Amino acid sequence: MGTQAEFDQMIKSGELIESRNEMTPEYLRELKHTLIVSGDTELISAPAYYLAAKRAPSINAFMTGIAIIQDELAHAHIAYHILEDLGEDQEKLIFSRDPKSFRYPYAFDVPLDSWTELVVANGMYDQAGFCLLGDIHDKCSYGPWKRGLNKVMAEENFHLRNGRTWMKRISAAGGSAKDELQRAVDWMFPLSVEWFGLPDSMKMHSTQLEYRLKGLTNDQLRQWWLSTVVPYCEQIGIKVPAHKEVRDGKDVWDLDYPFPCDFDPEAKRWDFKKPATWDDVLVRWRARGPRNVEMVAMFQEEFHKFRKTHQKNGS
Amino acid sequence: MTTNYKRVTGDAVEYEVFARKTRAEPLHQVGSVVAPDDDLAMAYARATYDEERWCEMAIVRKDHVIELWQPGEIA
Repeated sequence: MGTQAEFDQMIKSGELIESRNEMTPEYLRELKHTLIVSGDTELISAPAYYLAAKRAPSINAFMTGIAIIQDELAHAHIAYHILEDLGEDQEKLIFSRDPKSFRYPYAFDVPLDSWTELVVANGMYDQAGFCLLGDIHDKCSYGPWKRGLNKVMAEENFHLRNGRTWMKRISAAGGSAKDELQRAVDWMFPLSVEWFGLPDSMKMHSTQLEYRLKGLTNDQLRQWWLSTVVPYCEQIGIKVPAHKEVRDGKDVWDLDYPFPCDFDPEAKRWDFKKPATWDDVLVRWRARGPRNVEMVAMFQEEFHKFRKTHQKNGS
Repeated sequence: MTTNYKRVTGDAVEYEVFARKTRAEPLHQVGSVVAPDDDLAMAYARATYDEERWCEMAIVRKDHVIELWQPGEIA
């Protein structure tokens, strides 16, 4: 490993880091943390989407759902395999961690119970993933990850298109189908806004930004997300609690509710009359939501069963 | 250098995956897979890197690649 000054110079000059022996211990730690969040998010989307894809309205729709899940697993593989190169044990990370220690956004812990909710997840959660990973793809200082994301970006685009096409179709159908879509958006929109984390005003220092593991701040990413989702929903006739303002000649997206505020995950309901603090939100996130244990068990249980049978056969 | 990855079925090794979209472009690295043998490595590569209709795909065991130098080293 070079000196700290050499490393800082490499980061500053926009050079890519290519191997472990070029990293400082702090960079390695921060990179691993960022990769774990990414891998866990891709991985958990598989059971979350699968439980809803089973409600698909046709075989074709189901196959699209399954194709998306296969993509997400490949994306998880990219992140976990890089972690493996960096000295982590992939099997331990996936199969032997406590469900509560997975580091994916809280939104996935709230059950997706219908095809409508699944396509809204494709339209909103995958858009959040697209913003976060697009930024990393663009700016990330770690070469292997930046290149690995080529595939991810191409495929997230397809998930997003699936979400948007279906949302548009369901909205155009009108009646109870459109009401169901509006209800899904009502609880899923604020969960996606939360996805980007603490506002910049509360986040004093970002090592991820300093090391160019990402390029945009939480609020910049949130604004990017709003600038794509809000106009689309308005265009297809779906209401969202946010609107555009022009400040200093620039478009700014403002929320029409106190952010953050109180959420009941069992009822899937936000109480816009009950503002919350970020400490309240962090408590809710850390406790994880209703489906955390069930989803992690979906991939962990089979693994341990398989291992048991395998050992019995003596191989 | 060979890295052995522990898998539920025993040890596995890494394969680099190469592909290209058109005849006009050169083969380039699109990713890697970890597998216990060549057959499974081929299956994993095909299933994992399916984002394009590649006109060619090839895999190489990583420990068969002879590195002359790496980024940061003097040629």
